[in-house]
Amino acid sequence: MITRRSTLLALPALAMMAMGSPALAQDKPYIALVSKGFQHQFWQAVKTGAEQAAEEFGVRITFEGPDNETMVDRQIDMLAAALANKPAAIGFAALDSQAAIPLLRQASDAGVPVIAFDSGVDSDIPATTATTDNLAAAALAADKMAEMLGGKGKVAVVAHDQTSRTGIDRRDGFLNRMAEAHPDIEVVTVQYGQGDHLQSTEVTKAILTANPDLGGIFGTNEGSAIGVVNGVRETGAENIVVIGYDSGTAQKQAINDGLMAGAITQNPIGIGYETVKAAVAAINGEELPNIIDTGFYWYDKATMDDPQIAAVLYD
Amino acid sequence: MTAAAKQLVDLRGIEKRFPGVHALKNVRFDLMSGEVHALMGENGAGKSTLMKVLSGIYQPDAGEIFIDGKQIQIHGPRAAQDLGIGIIHQELSLMNDLTVAQNIFIGREPRRAFGRLDEKALNRQAKEIFASMNLSLSPTARVGDLTIAKQQMVEIAKALSCRSHILIMDEPTAALNDAEIAELFVIIRRLRSEGAGVIYISHKMHELKQIADRVTVMRDGEYVDTVDAAAVPVSKVISMMVGREVRDKAPTIPDLSAANVALEVKGLSRGREVRDVSFSVKQGEILGFAGLMGAGRTEVARLIFGADPRDAGEIRVMGREVSISKPADAVRAGIGYLSEDRKRFGLATGMTVRDNIALASMFRFTGSGGRLDDGGMKKTAQEFIRRLGIRTPGDGQEVRLLSGGNQQKVVVAKWLLRDCNILIFDEPTRGIDVGAKSEIYALLEALAAEGKAIIVISSELPEILQLSHRIAVMCEGRLTGFLPGGAKTTQEEIMALATQREPAMQPVGEDQ
Amino acid sequence: MNDAIAQPAKPKGFLRLIDTGAHQKLLAVASLIALLIGFSIGSPNFMQTSNMIAILQAASVNGVLAVAATLVIITGGIDLSVGTLMTFTAVIAGVTLTSIGVPLPLGIIAAIGAGALSGLISGTLVAKAKIPPFIATLGMMLILKGLSLVISGTRPIYFSDVVGFDQISRGSIIGDLIPALPIPNGVLILFIVAVVVAYILNKTVLGRYCFALGSNEEAVRLSGVNTDRWKMAIYALAGAICGIAGILIASRLNSAQPALGLGYELEAIAAVVIGGTSLSGGRGTINGTIIGALIMAVLTNGLRVMSIAQEWQTVVTGAIIILAVYADQLRRQKAK
Repeated sequence: MITRRSTLLALPALAMMAMGSPALAQDKPYIALVSKGFQHQFWQAVKTGAEQAAEEFGVRITFEGPDNETMVDRQIDMLAAALANKPAAIGFAALDSQAAIPLLRQASDAGVPVIAFDSGVDSDIPATTATTDNLAAAALAADKMAEMLGGKGKVAVVAHDQTSRTGIDRRDGFLNRMAEAHPDIEVVTVQYGQGDHLQSTEVTKAILTANPDLGGIFGTNEGSAIGVVNGVRETGAENIVVIGYDSGTAQKQAINDGLMAGAITQNPIGIGYETVKAAVAAINGEELPNIIDTGFYWYDKATMDDPQIAAVLYD
Repeated sequence: MTAAAKQLVDLRGIEKRFPGVHALKNVRFDLMSGEVHALMGENGAGKSTLMKVLSGIYQPDAGEIFIDGKQIQIHGPRAAQDLGIGIIHQELSLMNDLTVAQNIFIGREPRRAFGRLDEKALNRQAKEIFASMNLSLSPTARVGDLTIAKQQMVEIAKALSCRSHILIMDEPTAALNDAEIAELFVIIRRLRSEGAGVIYISHKMHELKQIADRVTVMRDGEYVDTVDAAAVPVSKVISMMVGREVRDKAPTIPDLSAANVALEVKGLSRGREVRDVSFSVKQGEILGFAGLMGAGRTEVARLIFGADPRDAGEIRVMGREVSISKPADAVRAGIGYLSEDRKRFGLATGMTVRDNIALASMFRFTGSGGRLDDGGMKKTAQEFIRRLGIRTPGDGQEVRLLSGGNQQKVVVAKWLLRDCNILIFDEPTRGIDVGAKSEIYALLEALAAEGKAIIVISSELPEILQLSHRIAVMCEGRLTGFLPGGAKTTQEEIMALATQREPAMQPVGEDQ
Repeated sequence: MNDAIAQPAKPKGFLRLIDTGAHQKLLAVASLIALLIGFSIGSPNFMQTSNMIAILQAASVNGVLAVAATLVIITGGIDLSVGTLMTFTAVIAGVTLTSIGVPLPLGIIAAIGAGALSGLISGTLVAKAKIPPFIATLGMMLILKGLSLVISGTRPIYFSDVVGFDQISRGSIIGDLIPALPIPNGVLILFIVAVVVAYILNKTVLGRYCFALGSNEEAVRLSGVNTDRWKMAIYALAGAICGIAGILIASRLNSAQPALGLGYELEAIAAVVIGGTSLSGGRGTINGTIIGALIMAVLTNGLRVMSIAQEWQTVVTGAIIILAVYADQLRRQKAK
């Protein structure tokens, strides 16, 4: 029986079908990428890199991620849907590697190679992991901060997340390096803004109110860093050394305007590119290294336009 | 039976204060077994408050309560139930989404182990109660789907199911037609003969003679007197209630031979509810619409007002055909509809008198940039308060704090301000007390004298007879005839037309 | 006169026929089937056992939460705390099972108990303190999110050492019996919860008062029912069901993720509403809610399998929710 409501519900689905189903027509190998996120510029840059590689190696990809990085189960559902489409390989950036293991095992049992990207999976299933060394990258941020403060003073960290691997690594990389190499610098507080611009702004303002003699703040991802810049600007505090992470238009602007001293950039385009490239290699049965280090760079106003840096920055 | 009559209820010196109001002042009231004791008084006289004290909803500030001769305190609705006190609330308090039987036994469901419901027992017991009431009603019908009258019966069944021997009925006939009222009275009389006591609250004076044994009158929170219903004329009771004489006469019918036809309706139809209805109203005329509940009078009004879509029919205003497909069209044509349910459809009760009067005419008070002209609204509102005699502390008073009669006047003001020359009143005095009723009557007459065309829908025949210049009678969606207004027409003539069913349409075996 | 408003008689009769109450469920089922057929045509990979199981599994947690939300919504209230309460109970299970090391059944009871307690608190705030349900549960939502982070020390708690914990959701009793049908236990639990709650709703006093409260709370109170106490009981039951959802998600992820949970309440409410339960209270069914949750899960999965761009998936999902409720609205108007 076709009722009014069922017709209503079916309409959008049919419309989508009319837009064409790429799954059908093409014979290209299909690689499903399930990322940690989707909306942030960082992940869009990873997607761009993946699409470049797909073009280059003649494969078809899809790229998906949950709305925010807490939605572990939603990511698992995405992985399940990706597996249903019988991909030739899977790229996976785990929000929580334990939770995904049954499905990853299912994939490997079916002979579908898995390439981990961005952060590792605690398992021997992935053929390789394309990632940034976040601990080392955050340590570089600590060194740069110490250098600009002349080796002493008070600093704070606005981190994006208490629970994710990247959140923990970047926080700990920064804190450990400060403790080991820069004993005269005191980290007064670590606060979390969930990577949200507005929340990070509020967190920053609170830190500045509580610590009027603060020398510098490290924001551990794009959203946190922009929040820090906004917070500093809104309180009118001066001579605060702000160090960011990742890139994006707003962060590049802040560095150009002198509000931010500089930032660590990963190579998101490289992460996407290397993931797909490694997937193609795995499909072809080639040997792969355990880790593909996709690299990180320090950039500031002076170096921003270097071709080597400019290539990995995204808007 | 009265030989062994004993006192069921005795209230002495009851006092109740609310912030700013002394609601009950030293009130007394008693009820014997085997009697119907009417409690009369205008709205705000304290009847409902007194009954809420008796049914445990309010605790009195002072006074003594004796039930079956024992002095007690009634701590809550449940305690009252346990004492055998059942109340049928004025505003129906039923759960529309539940079935009839579920409503009747709410809070007292037959249960099995682990809180499981015994639905079969529930429906069986409900059926037994209906049988004892001589009522045909399905226990599994959804209450929201029943007519108001049937819902009223459910309320009564609910009270009876508690084995209440003290029954409080707060305006039980407000929503019933004459046939249903007669049925209700049969039930009340049987309860009385079985030794129950009934406290009967009503605004309909003629019911007193039919059903009540004694009458107690309250005014302004005070006890006035208790009299024998058979011995005292109704006019005496009314004057006790209002503290002054109230007029009770037929209208003088104006000569309308030269007046223009304001509204003409031809062949109006919608399904079975309204079938080929045609009539006209002249400027300055009050046309009464009589009929039983469900005869289609309100439906006709809603079609004219564009509240429901019509299947067929044409509407002419001042001789010109108008296209009405939604209420806004009707309002533009100068037709105002005053719903029987003022609180739901007529007023924004949480807003002020001023805002309510201006509600349909906001465009008049809107300046450049959408700014509202508060001063203008205030001035206009005060003008109407004076003109219609709306009793309110000021135009800034919230409408919900006004009495029913004054709320009705606010609705009238709203439509007058909107330049409505055709006003349809649906049950204009429902829930309005006797004193205020005659004011509403006077207002309608004054409006007619100004040249407004007025349609009055009323289920109370005395009201129809007192107001109408001409009477239209409906039955089962059809107009069955017109009668002249004034003293020439009797209630019997109206009832004859109101029950004139179409022989061919009368389905076999449906009659209840 | 206006011809446009004159309606021909025949379609009215026909619509009335399909719009009677008995067809309400049929309507929702028909929508679900329409979606399944649509996606099967759209992608050859959609209709396969493993993908159907993936859909059921995706629906299981949201389904259980939606069942909890249905109870509260029928009373005319709303519970915004279901998502973070689920997380909170998962964390409680994590702490009792790993840090304290109680036996598995006790950990499960602790989680469900914590859920019931939290629901009782929400219910008390609503019934006794007269705080509007929207506000009371909004507050609880945030309190529980914070407490989850505090108790867990802001990091996930893993159940790797708790033998059998992951089997609660991931294992398959049905699959052990019928190897061709490896339906995960999580799905089985959803259906058990649904059947039990449907029974409670239709056959017990608690259920009866759910509908009564949503229909006319004042009338129930005047009938001598202790409405406050029943309302508290209903919120507590809803909380206990959130506790079951907490166990389900923790078992599925083999970890308690303390940061998860925000946003899940809205998806649960969406499933309830798609299932035909009225947000103003008084009417609703568990069947409808389950179908609502399935429609949501089929939709998300189907759009993914069809490789629709993710930004468009969101647009379509939103449109479907509105359409589903609009269709229900039409049906109701026709029914009048």
